[in-house]
Amino acid sequence: MVEMRANNVDLSSGAQLGVAPGNVHSHLELLADMGRDFATSQDLETTLTRAVQRITDYVDAEAGALFMLSPCGQKLGCDACVGPVEITGLEIAADQGIVGFCVQNDSGRIVRDVANDPDFNAAVDDETGFKTKSILCAPMSVKGERIGAIELINKRGGDGLFDNDDLNLLQALSVSAGLAVLNARMSAELVEQERVKRELELAAEIQRSLLPEEKESDFPVKGVNLPARVVSGDFYDFYPLDDGRVAFTLGDVSGKGMNAALMMAKSASLLRCLGKSIKEPGRLLTLVNEEICETATRGMFVTLVHGIYDPASGYVRLANAGHEPPLFCARDGSFRALEAEAPPLGISPALIDEDGFPETELNLDGGRLFVFTDGVTEGYVADGVELGIEGLKALITANAGSDAQEIMNEVRDRIGGTGNALRDDVTLLAIDDSRAVHTSDVAVGAAEPGATDAPGEKIFQLRVTAKANRLRLIRNTVRETASFCGFSEDDTRDIVLAVDEACQNVIRHAYGHEGEGDIAIEFRHRPDAMILYIRDFADPVDISKIKPRDLDDLRPGGLGTHLIGEVMDEVDFLPPPIDGGNLLRLVKKIEG
Amino acid sequence: MEHQLSVAGSALVIAFTGDIDLQTSPDARKALLALVGKGQPILVDLSGVGYIDSSGVASLVECLQSVKKSGQKLVLVSVSDGALRVLQLARLDRVFTICATLDEGVAAVE
Repeated sequence: MVEMRANNVDLSSGAQLGVAPGNVHSHLELLADMGRDFATSQDLETTLTRAVQRITDYVDAEAGALFMLSPCGQKLGCDACVGPVEITGLEIAADQGIVGFCVQNDSGRIVRDVANDPDFNAAVDDETGFKTKSILCAPMSVKGERIGAIELINKRGGDGLFDNDDLNLLQALSVSAGLAVLNARMSAELVEQERVKRELELAAEIQRSLLPEEKESDFPVKGVNLPARVVSGDFYDFYPLDDGRVAFTLGDVSGKGMNAALMMAKSASLLRCLGKSIKEPGRLLTLVNEEICETATRGMFVTLVHGIYDPASGYVRLANAGHEPPLFCARDGSFRALEAEAPPLGISPALIDEDGFPETELNLDGGRLFVFTDGVTEGYVADGVELGIEGLKALITANAGSDAQEIMNEVRDRIGGTGNALRDDVTLLAIDDSRAVHTSDVAVGAAEPGATDAPGEKIFQLRVTAKANRLRLIRNTVRETASFCGFSEDDTRDIVLAVDEACQNVIRHAYGHEGEGDIAIEFRHRPDAMILYIRDFADPVDISKIKPRDLDDLRPGGLGTHLIGEVMDEVDFLPPPIDGGNLLRLVKKIEG
Repeated sequence: MEHQLSVAGSALVIAFTGDIDLQTSPDARKALLALVGKGQPILVDLSGVGYIDSSGVASLVECLQSVKKSGQKLVLVSVSDGALRVLQLARLDRVFTICATLDEGVAAVE
């Protein structure tokens, strides 16, 4: 402030000392000085007022005013003024008066006698009582962008007329004032942009924290995510369940902006929270779908794959809500796509029948399952060339010897490494069964009593969720298998009954609730008999408590074990397999 | 599994078709118990039941017990081979009155 006041004094004293306005050296000094003031000022309004004051003093005019064009371009408003009449805040139409003329035509103007100029607008004089005689006006504009104008009124001294020298000086000053205004506006915009960017980065950080932490390198499920923008509408997740299986999810929210990111956060949280207790992918998606339909923004939806992988058996059970078909790469290198059978989440709960989202079961058997978003197949690997599903298969095949994580990194780098902006988020998830040692084959780990017993030839193995609505499927399978082994119609009917009752016991007594785990059945064939192993993965059941009920006791339930004993030749609970659960062996002799 | 209701003589007839298993027996049980306490004899037609398991049999037993308490009669008619086999295995063929045809059932409860 002290320095500024000193400048003012210098300047006015210079003017008072009668330094010729045409003095180029003095002009330059003034311009340099004011330019410096603009460059260092933190407060644009004060600086502009000071500039008007100094130019008015320097040119020796009675009054000066600075007009700014409104953002809409319709009005000119007085932002700063010096002189006998205060007009700060005054607004005129953008094409009114000499100021309007200069702004519209982007040119300076000297009006020696306003009385002879048709453009002069006398309304302000009429209102303020000020008497305007002559005007000097120069526009503020930068690269064709009109900002406003500075106007000086009534030159004092000499002939009382502004000259070209005055106009040149005012024009030079207007340009630097215009630049200062533009700079201030741009830096305000920058500050705002910076703030939005910081918020986006915070959102992205929270999003990254929603992705699962990297597990040890032999963990069978892995993922990668490369957002197209700061935030992403894609997500993946995986977490071990308390029974040793691993749940996994990969989803893609429609859209790519902040709304998609928020929807992603909601979907991911719901799935992770509920997925730890609901271990049926179809039922989980049904619940999450209902929740999202209830609260989602119209027109937003989520395509999603959720599944559970059992490292002990190599089985994957998954449900697909309108998502890209996951790609299964078998141990022999062949591919198979698993098509979606249900619409995306967030469309309508009414589209889903009472059984929930359909589930697909797949034995990975040493292979790998890749789940990915369309950002992968539609990603550009060269100008205008999409990776495509065949390109993805080729990359998987070419890197077959690599770890699944390395394969996915390769895919990500191919799409992300072209130097072009990504078209969409790139997200992949792999379930890798190639290193797993499967211990849950039905009879594996069972110490067979009477080791001399030839276990026979394995015909068939079935593994389904322990649910009442799967019993019909089990019965049909048993019927066909028994018939294949040469049993009579009556014997076949009895075997069907025995297996059905045994599976009911698993559902009702071993698990206690529907859908808590799986039932596995292995069918073996000997020339003289069929042997069935029925296995569950529940806590071991106290065999001593499983007794046929007294038939005189007609209470509901409890008949099952009796019926099994009636129709089968041998019924044995075997010691639990090494990885837990219960194992029942049923033998039915083939009547010669 | 489905069921159909009709009247034959003085009796209410409930005819089941399909499998009565762990999944469907709760519905069968509900349908049966709804007929208890109406005073009329009940004929349960099992000709269309290809499969019945222990939970289905238990529903029949529960209904029979309720019917006896309310002084009604309950007769199984036209029992399919599959269902009869299970009833025999459970030794319930001696507990239930079983008639070969609907007409015999109607005559048995008159």
